[in-house]
Amino acid sequence: MRANAARGFGRQAWDRFRRHRLAMASIVVLILLAVAFIVGPMLSPYAFSDQDFTALNQGPSLAHPFGTDPIGRDLMVRTFVGGRYSLRIALLITVITTLVGTVIGAAAGYFGGAVSAALDQFINLFLIVPSIVILIVLASRYGSAPNAIAVVIALLIWPSLARVVRGSFLQYKEQEFVLAAKAAGASTARIMFRHILPNTFGPIIVNATLLIGTAIILESTLSFLGLGVRPPVPTLGNLIAEAKGALQTKPSAALIPGAFIVGVTLCANFIGDGLRDALDPTSGKD
Amino acid sequence: MLAYATRRILATVPLLLIGTFIIYWLTAISGDPLLKFATCTLCDRSAYDRIIELYQLDRPIPVRYLNWVLGAIQGDFGPAISQGMAEASAVVFDRTLNTARLAVPAFLIVVVLAVTIGVYSAVNQYSRTDYAVTSLSFLGISLPTFVFALALQAGAIWLLNTTGWRPFYVTGMRTLASDGLLDMLRSHALPVLTLVIVITAGESRFQRAAMLEVINSDYIRTARAKGLPRRTVILKHGLRNALIPMVTIWALDFAALLGGSLVTETIFGWPGLGPLFVGAVSVQDLNLVMAVVMLTSVLVIVFNLLADLAYGWLDPRIRYE
Repeated sequence: MRANAARGFGRQAWDRFRRHRLAMASIVVLILLAVAFIVGPMLSPYAFSDQDFTALNQGPSLAHPFGTDPIGRDLMVRTFVGGRYSLRIALLITVITTLVGTVIGAAAGYFGGAVSAALDQFINLFLIVPSIVILIVLASRYGSAPNAIAVVIALLIWPSLARVVRGSFLQYKEQEFVLAAKAAGASTARIMFRHILPNTFGPIIVNATLLIGTAIILESTLSFLGLGVRPPVPTLGNLIAEAKGALQTKPSAALIPGAFIVGVTLCANFIGDGLRDALDPTSGKD
Repeated sequence: MLAYATRRILATVPLLLIGTFIIYWLTAISGDPLLKFATCTLCDRSAYDRIIELYQLDRPIPVRYLNWVLGAIQGDFGPAISQGMAEASAVVFDRTLNTARLAVPAFLIVVVLAVTIGVYSAVNQYSRTDYAVTSLSFLGISLPTFVFALALQAGAIWLLNTTGWRPFYVTGMRTLASDGLLDMLRSHALPVLTLVIVITAGESRFQRAAMLEVINSDYIRTARAKGLPRRTVILKHGLRNALIPMVTIWALDFAALLGGSLVTETIFGWPGLGPLFVGAVSVQDLNLVMAVVMLTSVLVIVFNLLADLAYGWLDPRIRYE
């Protein structure tokens, strides 16, 4: 316990995080996956749109470890490029959601009143009109480009983060250090973003990490249904959609990209879980 | 309580109006029904006019929406253009029955499984089983529905190819040959299993957290201290209270299930609400789209309200002002 006192909060959090073996392993795996998605296509002798007419619709082999699709494109390089697009979209969703959710949540928590009531009504609206409904309608019109689908998904999932941020702001805004800052003449913006916001980084980071998993699942599901990113741009979701017709003869073409989706999501969820334990000093192991 | 329920339902009306208008408007602008006729050289003017009349294209969207609302209030959801002009409400009703064939068994299995798993791993916190269950539920929440459904299909096909044994159908609701109980089981098994696994993963974690909170509370320690058997304490004192917060989750999950499981129904070729809705959106069949939206919204509102009313009955400390 005495050793604890000598360490700062960041150091303690890191020590707690390091003990979470699954989370540490997940970071390593996620980095490896990201490197594979980015570097893999550069090292591969094929481009993602190259066709090899001597090897159409093949199962896994030495020349094509993941096999080829019906028009002879190498599925390994397509899976990696697809993974890169999926990961990029998921990160974009996470960034937009975090920014929008944090600003609106902060305003709702600090000012209360109309902003807070509007946020409540917005959340209720999505509870009543299922967000998947709006997602389908929006995605079928705007969602065919990678950045567009990211914006569409982000616009629908930010309220959950905003609610978390609002909760934290409510908790801190009546505390003495905020009063002290007010007394010292700090502006409202300074109090919100310099004094209160750093205290809420913990829950924000945890939620942002978990959002990566949600985002990958939402994007790949929409792309799988043909409502998201459309070919020729490959994503993990539309690769599976292309392969599902050949499930009988060549299940690997659908199951390999599926395994990558599960891998990325699982890593994000484990890291989020580890961060939750590490960043919350009051939390036990659970 | 009746006053409370009425007030709650009335409070959702403005939200419902806003939400349905957004969906109406987005669907209406998402495509042009006349586009198909732009290249049709055989069509004469009357076909063109008929499309304009059917889709009310000569009126602004807010007016069309108002007409729809006025009809809907009187229970008239209009004809479904993409379904041979059948009543939209009748089409939705038929599809809801099909969806319910998956939703009801899946929901019952999920509740039993999630309660059992959640309670067991909470009572045996940090045991090997608890770790295994927690890891599995992490896997479950990281597994997109469509990946799991495709893996099940691939497994069933592999079984058929290697052993010639075909215990499950991978697509469709029934075969033409027979509609017996065995046939039903074979077609329902995989889609129900998909729904069960995906929902149980999340629900069992909620149940575990709820149970943990209860068994760490003072009255449980008191009950143990006065010498009650462990089994009685867990099942009678603990479980009953740990089920209360689950009521809301059950209500929302069941409402979502009954509203149609888009991915599962699409993959298993199930004639339910999910594929119907996506099809209706893609051809701008507004009456049909709105009928499905109304059904899913009303399900959420009603089940949410029922859950809140059940709270008062389960926990007498809760009062409705």
